[in-house]
Amino acid sequence: MGLTNFLQLLVSGLAMGAIYTLTAKGLFIAHVTTHRVNFGQGDFLMVAAFLTLAGLGAGLPVLAVIPMVVVALGLMGWGLERIAVRPLDRPGAARFGAAHAWILTTAGVALILQNVVELIWGKSSQYAPPLFSDRRDNVITLGGVGFFVEELLVMAAACIAVGVFYWFLLRSRWGKDVYTVAFNPEAAALLGIDVRRTVVMVWVLAALLAAVSGILVGPLVTVHPHMGLIFTIKALAVASLGGFANPLGILAGGVLFGVAEAFSNYWDSAYGDLYPLLFVLLMLVLRPAGIFGEKTADVR
Amino acid sequence: MKVTRRLGIMAAALTGLALPAAAQQPALVRVGVIQGLSGPPAIVDFGESYLQGIRLALKDHEARNPRTRIELVVYDDEANPQRAVSLAQRLVQNDNVSAVIGTVSSGNVLAFAPILQRARIPLLAGPSIATDITTRFINERPSFIFRCSMVEQFQIEAMLDWGVQNFQRIGLLHSTTGYGSFAAREIQEGLRRRNVNLVATEAAAPGVNDLTAQMIRMRDAGAQLVLNFHESFELLYRPLPRINYRPVVAGNWGLSSMKVLEIVGREALEGTVMGQALDLADPKARAFDERMRAEYGAAYRWPVVGALGYDAGQVLFRAIERVGRADAVAIRDALESLDGVEAISATPARPFSPTDHECLDREHVFLGVWRNGQVVRLEQR
Repeated sequence: MGLTNFLQLLVSGLAMGAIYTLTAKGLFIAHVTTHRVNFGQGDFLMVAAFLTLAGLGAGLPVLAVIPMVVVALGLMGWGLERIAVRPLDRPGAARFGAAHAWILTTAGVALILQNVVELIWGKSSQYAPPLFSDRRDNVITLGGVGFFVEELLVMAAACIAVGVFYWFLLRSRWGKDVYTVAFNPEAAALLGIDVRRTVVMVWVLAALLAAVSGILVGPLVTVHPHMGLIFTIKALAVASLGGFANPLGILAGGVLFGVAEAFSNYWDSAYGDLYPLLFVLLMLVLRPAGIFGEKTADVR
Repeated sequence: MKVTRRLGIMAAALTGLALPAAAQQPALVRVGVIQGLSGPPAIVDFGESYLQGIRLALKDHEARNPRTRIELVVYDDEANPQRAVSLAQRLVQNDNVSAVIGTVSSGNVLAFAPILQRARIPLLAGPSIATDITTRFINERPSFIFRCSMVEQFQIEAMLDWGVQNFQRIGLLHSTTGYGSFAAREIQEGLRRRNVNLVATEAAAPGVNDLTAQMIRMRDAGAQLVLNFHESFELLYRPLPRINYRPVVAGNWGLSSMKVLEIVGREALEGTVMGQALDLADPKARAFDERMRAEYGAAYRWPVVGALGYDAGQVLFRAIERVGRADAVAIRDALESLDGVEAISATPARPFSPTDHECLDREHVFLGVWRNGQVVRLEQR
């Protein structure tokens, strides 16, 4: 393999890995705070992609579409917590088997979203126009390696998200609130932390991450109402690989998974998608908490 | 007592009056339709387009003031073989249909066709394209399995004849699904018979989002023609500008979908070749195309699949009209001997015979090519 091919595959893998990272980050932040994940995280991404193509299709400028989609997804995150998660926290709900009901409710919301999108846009694949170009083949070439602008943006977005997460979680007061709520919600309340607001913010943040990846992913893949599931599955694999408790681990997991996918498809395309998943399984056997997972038992 | 007798006489008189009116009612014949109307987008595009054609054919049938009233019983098999089989059983046992049309996935058709053959109910398969759907049953005497659709082997043979003549280096991209693997096998065997080897064979799973790796290998192998037999027809085109590669692409008739044009774009699709059975240069086909646009608007997206759905519908409805009642065996016989069909697609006037249950034969399948945003017949030197 020549250097140009190597770099081209690397870029391609990094771009896909960045999308997985952003999706997995949404799973991570919800899990670290509430021990729950949104099984429809990929479907939130799908809705963001459809809203973006609708906005651009209506002739709105990109800079108007982006905040609109971000706000819409933020509201969806709030709604998800209010409708599908909070009712399960009612006193005594766990006694009636509601302890893991969030799996069903978040997956149920995902199915509803798929159906709503099908009703509005139909069941077919849709064309998602590039964000910053009128041409579909707007490629930047550096040293013989071709990039789409959106690929660069999605990689940058993933890196920025990791940096912001680190700062938020480890340096900001809000991050400390999140970890306190994760450690013990009752103790957090006694310390004066608004537990409910923290939890709502976490679900909103997870939805905002889906908004960012959905806006950027549209021009890079085929947009259709069922595209979310594959992103959810791969994000779960990425979060397991990197470790559910570490934002840097999520980035490492996403990059590893995306790059492994690109190179395994190069070496053996017939089973190209299988090898990265086998790699994740192997890693989980060797390091069940993920590459960056905590070695000590989770005391939360 | 008197009153009772009088009422009895009046009732008898009313019944007598009602009988001729009932006799004038058109006979009701139920036709089952199983299609892939949800699931992967490519399946839905095929299923909905074919169903659009069937519905238009029914509208035309009703406009002719027929002696039979046809009622469609439409089910969605969700591209799921188990569901398709249970729907076929439901059509036979509960809905009392006299004929069935469907479906997209060849595997689903092959799963439920034996049920209809045993129940002696004619099946008009489509838009499934696996080569052996009708030939598996043709020796049953009588076979109840017919088809109005593209036949995979015919389009592959036409493509390979053209490809071998015009290109020295041919590559193949196929999906890892049953369909993709089946097409790959037919292509490899067809090329072996022509003493030609593929310079690259690449595969991709059905849910993939990026084919950069596969297309780099194709480019490095020097493939001038890439045969595209992946269900996500548009995927192959996306990495091409990035890796500075512009091969000629040829493939499944799915490449003629307006959806592919919308997603890939006119420029990238220019020169793409595919199997075809509808020539839009033909005034009759053009008129049909305009009618479908008027009827379905933006939901109309696939002229050739819509045309074959229309022809499947009109062939079956004509056979039913000739029989005039809900008699599945008689409808089968009428299908086999039907003549004088004015088809929209390349289907001949006499579509079927006792030894041929395909609307399209080898000589009816030709190659189409995208030119300026339209699929036209490929002129071959």
